[in-house]
Amino acid sequence: MKECKREFRYFTIMDYEKEGDYLQERHRQGWKFRSVYLPGIYEFERATPEDVVYQLDYNQEGIQNKTEYVQMFEDCGWEYIQDFVGYSYFRKPAAQMESSEEIFCDDESRLDMMKRIFKGRMIPLVVVFFCIIIPQLIWNSSRQALDYPILITFMILFILYLMIFVCFTIKYMKFQGRVNKR
Amino acid sequence: MDAHIRKVYVPMTETGFYILLCLQEPNHGYGIVQRVKEITEGEIVLSPGTMYGSLSKMEKDGLIRFVREEEKRKIYRITDLGDVVLQLELKRIQRLYRNAKEMSQ
Repeated sequence: MKECKREFRYFTIMDYEKEGDYLQERHRQGWKFRSVYLPGIYEFERATPEDVVYQLDYNQEGIQNKTEYVQMFEDCGWEYIQDFVGYSYFRKPAAQMESSEEIFCDDESRLDMMKRIFKGRMIPLVVVFFCIIIPQLIWNSSRQALDYPILITFMILFILYLMIFVCFTIKYMKFQGRVNKR
Repeated sequence: MDAHIRKVYVPMTETGFYILLCLQEPNHGYGIVQRVKEITEGEIVLSPGTMYGSLSKMEKDGLIRFVREEEKRKIYRITDLGDVVLQLELKRIQRLYRNAKEMSQ
């Protein structure tokens, strides 16, 4: 039985590149990524240290047509690891690449992925934000006997969501600017 | 050709151009990757995420159509609309080339 370890690391919706870098770093240290099954909980197994590139795609259509989707990546030398909340995880050893390689080769397709994330992940958050968090915040702060734990929880959620929206918007706008400049 | 097609594909990305160019013959995604690598002497290696996204977008927009499935790979072919867009793009590139040549002489 191989030695395993679990690690907690939190990445936001738009941090998929940082997440890939993190997995690559662990593999370089001799911890090969096995799976992620709860948000932020990563499982690794002992392996020979190696430079392996990890990349995440977000493509729900691909997940629905999994065989051909995975086949396309495997044909190009990318090993499919798993899906998690809409993201698909792939890896490829750097030694098998002629130059630095990614699963996207132009900014248009990177922007398309961001649009897919927006539809699949951001819209539900926006709905939760406007239909639950804001009404709850208003209702809880206008009560006569204030319930502080609940009020503070919704305040934290409010700030957290706001930060996610701001991060997404900044990253998206920056990227779109780069694409349109061409 | 409607406004959406014009906006997205005229002019188009290098990836889009090579996909349409290759799909004048039926082929699958990885087949296109190999063919493009061959004709650009290894300079352009299309990535699977970009390829998958582009193929499904182009199929939805009616530029290419699904022909059949072979060993878990979807085979596509250019449509009449795709051909119109490709010819437009070819004209644009020819003009670029002609002008560049004239101006640098």
